[in-house]
Amino acid sequence: MHDLPHSPHNGHAASEFDVPQDEVTCQQFVELVTEYFEGALHGRTLSQVEEHLVMCDWCVTYVEQMQATIASLGGLQEDRRVEPSGPVLAALRARRSGGA
Amino acid sequence: MPPEPAAASPTAAFADEQTVAALRAGDERVFREVFARSYATMKRVARTYVASEAVAEEIVQETWMAIVTGIDRFEGRSALATWMFSILTNQAKSHNARERRAVPFSCVAPRAADEPAVNPDRFQTDDDAWPGHWATPPRPWQKPDRRLLSLEARDRLKAALAELPDRQRLIVGLRDVEGHSAEEVCELLDLSQENQRVLLHRGRSRLRAILEEYLDPADV
Repeated sequence: MHDLPHSPHNGHAASEFDVPQDEVTCQQFVELVTEYFEGALHGRTLSQVEEHLVMCDWCVTYVEQMQATIASLGGLQEDRRVEPSGPVLAALRARRSGGA
Repeated sequence: MPPEPAAASPTAAFADEQTVAALRAGDERVFREVFARSYATMKRVARTYVASEAVAEEIVQETWMAIVTGIDRFEGRSALATWMFSILTNQAKSHNARERRAVPFSCVAPRAADEPAVNPDRFQTDDDAWPGHWATPPRPWQKPDRRLLSLEARDRLKAALAELPDRQRLIVGLRDVEGHSAEEVCELLDLSQENQRVLLHRGRSRLRAILEEYLDPADV
């Protein structure tokens, strides 16, 4: 565990800005990340998320980690080429000879 | 924004009518192409109903047997992929009746509190200065860019994906591994956009946490 930070947002003292009442917290933000990626956020919630990202380097890091996770998953696609089974091919060929 | 994976519609490359005509005529080139394109997706869907990869592979072959012999019954009232996947689902369910019960998709409850994306201990509490903000923030990973994960991390991710609950594994597999769009996944699985997102979110969040444990063990 790290020591508790003095401010939720890196590099800013708490007095530098007043957190508006309706700001999302980091804990709320991490639950909105997928909807944000999917373009499913609108209106006030979307602005809250975007405003949060401007202020919070940690949540930017979190977003980058989610993006890296998604990109890494893309690398798991199997390139093993599976062949249709003999019986399936036989059924297909039977169609060609008009026997299906 | 995350990189958008290339669209990979299970039957893409050919229009439905073209594919249907080719299958009816026994065109092996088109058949092999559609078979190869849809294989991984079909296997992922089948795998949610049955307990092993091997049985899922059997189901895909059985499904293709049913498609090839039954293609004359396809009337074009739905997309070809929808028809193919309904056959797949029926095949899988009949195996499943002998194996175990799958929880229907309609049971997805979008309650983040049940399964938070990040361990709540990582955030400040009401007694702290900034409740709900990071107490133990994430730290940047050392360049875990696309395909730059070490083999070991890749294996770790693969194992973690395999261990996700069935429906999360399926959605993450179809979206992030196979590269299907949200629309394709919802249509194939007859799933609402919202439920699709909930499952995707839970799955991705859990996998991120597992990668973090691996890439930044001191922090978690």
